[in-house]
This record gives sequence, C-alpha cells and structure tokens, in this order.
Amino acid sequence: MTFKREPQVFGASITEVEFGTEGASVVFGGANTLPLYNFDAQAKHRALVGIEISDKGPDRSLPELSAFYSGAESLSDIASRACTAPGADFVSLVLESADPNGDNATSEDAAALAKEVAVALAAGGKPVVIQGTGNVDKDQELIPKVAEALQGMNVLLLSAKEENYKGIAVAAVTAYGQKIGAESSVDINLAKQLNVLIAQMGIKPGSYVMNLGAAAAGYGFEYISSTIERVKLAALSQNDDALQMPSITSVAEDAWAVKEAVVSEDDFPEWGPREERGIEMEISTAAAALAAGTDAVILRHPASVKTIADMVAALA
Amino acid sequence: MDKFIIIGERIHCISPVIREALANRDPEPLLARGKEQLDSGATYLDLNIGPAERDGEDIMKWGVKLLQENLDNVPLALDTANRKAIEAGISVYDRTKGKPIVNSADAGDRLDYIDLAAANDAIAIALCSKQGVPRDNDERMQYCQEMLEHAMELGMEPSDLWFDPLTLVIKGMQEKQVEYLQFIRQLSDMGLNSTAGLSNASNGMPKEVRPIVDSVLTAMAIECGLTSAILNPNDKRLMGTIKTAEIIMNRSLYADSYLDI
Repeated sequence: MTFKREPQVFGASITEVEFGTEGASVVFGGANTLPLYNFDAQAKHRALVGIEISDKGPDRSLPELSAFYSGAESLSDIASRACTAPGADFVSLVLESADPNGDNATSEDAAALAKEVAVALAAGGKPVVIQGTGNVDKDQELIPKVAEALQGMNVLLLSAKEENYKGIAVAAVTAYGQKIGAESSVDINLAKQLNVLIAQMGIKPGSYVMNLGAAAAGYGFEYISSTIERVKLAALSQNDDALQMPSITSVAEDAWAVKEAVVSEDDFPEWGPREERGIEMEISTAAAALAAGTDAVILRHPASVKTIADMVAALA
Repeated sequence: MDKFIIIGERIHCISPVIREALANRDPEPLLARGKEQLDSGATYLDLNIGPAERDGEDIMKWGVKLLQENLDNVPLALDTANRKAIEAGISVYDRTKGKPIVNSADAGDRLDYIDLAAANDAIAIALCSKQGVPRDNDERMQYCQEMLEHAMELGMEPSDLWFDPLTLVIKGMQEKQVEYLQFIRQLSDMGLNSTAGLSNASNGMPKEVRPIVDSVLTAMAIECGLTSAILNPNDKRLMGTIKTAEIIMNRSLYADSYLDI
C-alpha cells in the first residue's frame, strides 16, 4: 500500500494582526497549521523577530553589543541602529526609566521618549512595539499616555493585565487606534478570560494579541511552552475564537536575567564569555517558544535576532 | 476531539407560529427563531416543514434561501417526510458553512434517504430503527451496520452518517435508558458520529421537570461520546450543561466567563 500523506490543515486560523504605518508595517498570525509545519500548508506570514532596546540604552559592558551600537548615543540613534540589525522585523522599546522601582520617570517624559523612538523607527522602516514597566499601576497611567503621544502610528503596546486591561483597552485601542497585548503570565485560563473580557468591551479581533508570559529555557520554561501549545491547539483544533489571537513572547528580559547570562567570566572561567552565554540563552528560549507556537519573539542581541530570523526563514 | 454540535430544533412545523409562517411564507418568525438559536450557540438549524405533501418543494426552497441569505449561510438540516422537498432544498443550498443534513434516514422504509444524501454529498441522520422502537442494542447495531454498509457502497464517508440511537421516553421506558447510553458509547468506540433528539426522553413530564431531565441526560450522553444533538439552544440550563460538559471533557478551555460565550 502506498503512503498517502494527509496534510494537517485546520478549518480555523489565527487572526491576522498588523502594526506599524504604511511602508513600515508587519502582519503576523494567519496560520492554519501547527507552528512551523510549513509542510502541511505554507504559513501566510512568517513568525516575527523583534529587537529590543531600552530607553536607558544598551548594556555597553558586552563587547559585541557595544560595538553594534557604537557611536549611537541618543535614544533615537540607538533606535535607528536597531533598525539595521539583520533579521529584525520590528523594534521593541522598553520604557525602563518609568519603572517606579527604578528612576520612576513621569509617564509624560516616557511617552515623549517613546515618540522620539517611534519617529526614528518610522524613518528606518520598522514598526514599533512599546513595552511598559510591568508595574500594574504605572502602566495603567503610562500606556494611555504613550498611546496618545503615538496617535496614528499603529503601535503594539505591551501589556494589558487583568488588573488594568479596561483603561488600557479603552485608551489605547478605542481612543487612539493602537494595538495591545493581553498579558496573562502563564495562566492559560486567565489568557482566555482576558481575551473574552477585552472582546466584551467591543474591541475587535485584529486589535489585540496575547502575551502569554515568558521564562528562560531551564527556568520553568516548560510551563510557558505547554501554555503556548495548548492555546494554539485550542485555537486551531477546537476553533476557539477566544484564543485565536497571535501571541508574542518577550524572551530578552528573562534570558538575560538568569545566572548563565549574568555571572562574570572571572567568577566562572570555565563557562566562557558572558555575552556568548546570554546569546545562547536567547536563542534556545526563542527557538523553543517558536516551536511551541508563539507568533513573534523579542530578543535583545543582534546575533540572537539574526540566528532566529535565519531559522524561521530556513523553515519557511 | 471536535466540539459538540448543536442542531437548533425550534423551526418546527409543530409550532403553530412556524406552521402559519410556512403556509403564508412569512419570513419574520423563521428569521427570529433562527437568529435566537444561533446567538445561543447553535451550529446547524433544523428546518422541519412536516409532511408537506402538497407544496413541500416550494416551502423548502423558500425556507433554505430565506435562512441562508439572512443568517450568513447558516448550515441546515432539512427535515421532512417529503423526499422531493429535501432534494429541492438541497438544489438551492449554499455549502459555504457546511454540508446540508438530510433528516432523516432509517434502516427501513427511509433507507433511500441515504441514497439521497449520497447523491447530493450531504450528511444523513441515520435512525437506528426499522419499524418502531428497536428491541435492544443488538438490533440497534444491526440497523447501524446495514445503513453503514449501504452508505459505503454508495461511496459515502462514514463520518457523513450521524447515527441516532433513538431516544426513548423515560415515562414508560425507564428501564431502557442505560442501554441507550451504552449504545452511544458503542457508536463512539467505533469512531462514528452520532446525534439524538434528547428531549424525547422527557416527553409527557411536567414542564418544570423537563429541563433538568434534558440537561442531565445530555450530560450523560456527551460523556458516552455523543457528538451532536437536536435540541432547543434557548434552554439556558441545557446550554449551560453542554458548555460545562465540554469543559469537563476538556474540549473547550476553561475561562471564568465560559457560560457567557
């Protein structure tokens, strides 16, 4: 008997979400097969790879990273440089300075920085993701301010959580037409619930994505990957329209915060250079997140961005 | 595993409102009931025009076009003893949202409804009976096999036969209910699709008792592997039961608002 190949193509698909402005926009989502299963059906859009920058500038103690950003001093120069990273589909700005546990810059100042970056990125042809501080109260004030400052630029704002989604959704999406990410920190039932609640506010699919949480490989990552997988399976095989939003995973922060990426070569000479370890943490985490089904990853190091973008392209 | 499919039963000529609307070709009652059922979670709508011996073909064509054109090509189950009316309905049917369902064939006089489904690439509801109520599950299974073989000879996919175990009224046939559920499990074990008119079980019971009986029987049938049912999607308790069963069966991911979606 001859083998008859049956492509596993689902009747349901992930919603497409576009962010950015004309000439500098990207679309993600749209898939109706399991992640990276391009042999079942060619995915409509490749998974996206973003490069992360902080409003406090790059870590210049890392030689390669420092070389990449050399000469770029102002935030807009740093943003423009990030645009040139091979494989980067978008640039993600973390408004680290606004963190109440750090510099606690005002929301107005942070929004002004975001505007500066967004203008530089539009010129560089890259769409923008803005990451808040992660502090629920601050983000509730900050994200609407950023949404207002960046009106008309169709940016993706991360993230709305259970505690602050209402104000963020109304201000960012309804008032200023931006896109938002619904963040649920590895709670699969909350992920669905947040989507239901956002939809009940009249926010249409295509205006929000899921941020299902993140962890570095080896540090509870299996919870992330199983969450991403289960969400994708529910979206496709169970045609669950409350879970058909594309998902975005911010790998950078966790990957660069674990021991392997933090301890110095002086303390652990047998581990080799710190920068290489951080890149490897980013690459292994991002590759696994993409295999589990995330539709976009955010990475910090240009070397990780290129490697993951090459992987996505090779499997397309 | 696929989601439980709900076929809304409320466009039925037994209702005086619908009977009159069909006779006068009055769109409103059909559309109102169609929309109510879809809003509450029906996937298919049953369009039961009764025996319709006189103008069945016209009525069915009118009903199919009316519902599909106004309700986003809703997939339909065409339900009548008038075979020609079903053919007429299929001739104007839009398949965008799913194949038409022929409601219904059996292993006796209505075996040729399977031929009708096969000739039109439709799904057939296949009642596991020949004349009257099957004696036991051996008899049910024999009819099931007869219809399955017949359909496969005609080139149908087994998944396009939705076997109906024949729901029996509890008042009078209480002792046959467990066997009925066991038969659903047999169908499920064979990988076959199934459907049932579950509210038959509560026939003759007081109005206030019927919803709990319908809900519990539905939950038990879903656990046994029933894949669809013809029921009233506007029965809130019943729909809440089905949604909860889907959660417990892990066919729908839980969220606190699951009853609202």
